[in-house]
Amino acid sequence: MNIDNTASQMRKGVLEFCILSIIKLGEAYPSDIIDKMKSANLHILEGTLYPLLTRLKNAEFLTYRWVESSSGPPRKYFSLTPKGANFYHELESTWLELANAVEAITGKTENQ
Amino acid sequence: MKKVININFQGSVVPIEETSYELLQKYIESLRLYFAEEEGRDEIINDIESRISELFQERLKAGSTCISDEDVNVIFKNIGRPEDFEEDEVSEKKTKEKEESSEDYSFPKYPGKTKRLYRDENHKILGGVCSGIAAYIGIDPVIVRILFVISGIGFFAYILLWIFVPGSNRLENGVRKRLYRNPDEKIIGGVCSGMGSYFNVNPWIPRAFFLIPFISFFFRWGHIGSLTFPNFLSFSFSPGTLIIYIILWLVIPEATTTSEKLEMKGEKIDLNSIKKSVVDEMKGVQERVSKMGQQMGTMAKEKGEDFGKEVHFAARRSSGAIGNVIVTIFKIFAYFVFGCIALALIIALFSIAVVAIGLFPLKEFVLTDGWQSILAWGSLIFFIGLPVVGIITFIIRRLARIKSHNRAFRYSFIALWVLGLICFVALLFSVGRDFRRVSLVNEEYVQLSDPSVNTLEVNSLEYNKYARTDTWFRLEPFASFDEDTAYIANVRFRVEQSPTDSFRVGLIRVANGSTRRNADTLASLVKYTIYQNDSSLMADKAIAINTHDKFRNQGVVVIIYVPVGKHIKINKNLSRSRALRLNGPWNEDNLYDWEDEDFDYQYGVEYVMREKGLFTLDGVPADEERNNQDWNSSGNNNRNDASHDGNYRYEGASKQDSLMRVKDIEIEKMQKSVDSLKALKRQEIEKTRDSLRQAKEKLEERIQKLNDSSSQAFIKTVVPGYSFIMHI
Repeated sequence: MNIDNTASQMRKGVLEFCILSIIKLGEAYPSDIIDKMKSANLHILEGTLYPLLTRLKNAEFLTYRWVESSSGPPRKYFSLTPKGANFYHELESTWLELANAVEAITGKTENQ
Repeated sequence: MKKVININFQGSVVPIEETSYELLQKYIESLRLYFAEEEGRDEIINDIESRISELFQERLKAGSTCISDEDVNVIFKNIGRPEDFEEDEVSEKKTKEKEESSEDYSFPKYPGKTKRLYRDENHKILGGVCSGIAAYIGIDPVIVRILFVISGIGFFAYILLWIFVPGSNRLENGVRKRLYRNPDEKIIGGVCSGMGSYFNVNPWIPRAFFLIPFISFFFRWGHIGSLTFPNFLSFSFSPGTLIIYIILWLVIPEATTTSEKLEMKGEKIDLNSIKKSVVDEMKGVQERVSKMGQQMGTMAKEKGEDFGKEVHFAARRSSGAIGNVIVTIFKIFAYFVFGCIALALIIALFSIAVVAIGLFPLKEFVLTDGWQSILAWGSLIFFIGLPVVGIITFIIRRLARIKSHNRAFRYSFIALWVLGLICFVALLFSVGRDFRRVSLVNEEYVQLSDPSVNTLEVNSLEYNKYARTDTWFRLEPFASFDEDTAYIANVRFRVEQSPTDSFRVGLIRVANGSTRRNADTLASLVKYTIYQNDSSLMADKAIAINTHDKFRNQGVVVIIYVPVGKHIKINKNLSRSRALRLNGPWNEDNLYDWEDEDFDYQYGVEYVMREKGLFTLDGVPADEERNNQDWNSSGNNNRNDASHDGNYRYEGASKQDSLMRVKDIEIEKMQKSVDSLKALKRQEIEKTRDSLRQAKEKLEERIQKLNDSSSQAFIKTVVPGYSFIMHI
């Protein structure tokens, strides 16, 4: 069993949840998302983020708007659609359940 | 010292070192290949490009004069290279199938580690069975798909595998080697050299596979060999290879870009291997790659999934697992229906093609040189060959997920087919005209060595050529043929009552032609051997025609006149199968429509001729017996007519004459029946008289007796009764 593999899979499971929660706070530019995640010590490559955003957008969870930029081409700012908000809430409740469950289990074993 | 060039990248001008520009191009190409199967591929690439452009601008604003290798490498590192994604991203490829991904974590990351067969959900066309197998054994999925389609049981095997093999959306086909046409070493289309590099052999080996049968085909087609055309081997191995080559040419994409050439040779595609390869072919790479990207989309996805999606969503809402089963069942059903229709179409086309190719060697015997020959080739190639090739190509292109929007190609295809159709119609018309007229009928008599035998047995003269009947394909009346002679089994035997007490044999030669004179000439050219040998009559079973005189439905009717009380038997080796007759609209002249004759005898049965016609030895009339045994024969109850008016049908030169004769005969017949009725009446009257006379005698006897024994009074009472009888 490869520790890196397991760890990266764990991370991946919550990646979309994290991205959606960042976008939920307000319109976000992809590199802002990267920065925010980086500051939370969750590293993600832009090359991974862009496809993920496109997929979420194609699933109508996200929408975007073009914003003129002083440095270079216009930027895509992503925001959550109502459908995306629902999706986010579902993920959130799943996450809370999961976190509680994991907490309960690991907490118990540590107590023993 | 480095050369700096200005590029227009995402709408802004960027000064960049030439080497860095090359790195950038290769990087983007590698991204395109990596995301080739993604739905939003172009958008993703575009987003990444604009991000890169932004980073470039930042660099330039910070004071750099141009973008250097170092800069691009830093940027690539931040964004990530495809190799990095592979580590970073394993299961995110399909968010839309998230419900499955939870259980996917137990699956092996790469099929190589613990080899198990999965259906490949990422590269699927139908259920991902073929690409799963390809990933399992490590070959190009296209090859597995083609094998599945070709093999007959493929369909059922596919459905079974679809149901029983678990799906996985994590399979990566480790093989990056794909089948391409190689334009660099091509002789015709590059098919063989592409195959050579796929299988890692010298291109001359696949070339030999195509060439050797083709060369031998030319030899055989020429003048070697007593081979009977057409046989199936010569179809599949000679012109067949040409067809296979053309199909492969159309189906296999040409390796035009560097990455495709690398894929063809099987090197792993990443930045380094691309860097290693030739750079000067990089012009127009972007167009080419994006074109390839378009081709990767599948029709199956578009059409099948539109339908599937609706059901899918509805089903997913209710419950996941059952929903999936329902979706799968729906899909299987839909594909089954589509598949059946497609299969029926293909089989129909193929059988037409096989018949046409089988018929083709007969061309020499039917068609005149020049226009008809050209028309025949035209209709064979364009009207029949083109759709066959087209449909096969269509199927394989769908399987290989190649999609092209080449309208010019499609239109020229349709135009050529219409041309073929025109050729075909013109050919039918032209050939029909050659068969329009029918020859005049005149009956000749065959000299018999001993016409007074008791039994005549008709036997067939065997031909060497004719003995060969084991060809897979037969078309009546063509019995067999070789390069310049064809034998046609247009020989019919009729049995008539002989007016004399000896056998007599008549022979009628007939033919069609474009004019009546032409038909007469052809009929007179028919060579037919028939002679008597003791009690057997030896007769040709078929007539030979050659390529010069052509087939114009030449035929022979042998009429055997059997005297009353003698026996006749026509042996089975002369029987003709009633399968398919070459009977066309040109037989408009009903007067001579000898094709329609129905015979009232059976082959291999001995008959005796009586006054009323043919009878079996058991005493059953031949036509009745036949009626009992052959539910097909409907028109043979006019047997009596045939024995009476059989001759007139051939003697009459004009319709009027013959019509008058028909009338005469009818009147005669009516007269006869009236006569026989009269005779019957007379007989009855005679009988009644007889019986009355007898009764009278008996009564007289009794009266005598009574007179002897009893009184006078009793006699008186009897007398009136007696007189009453007399008066009746």
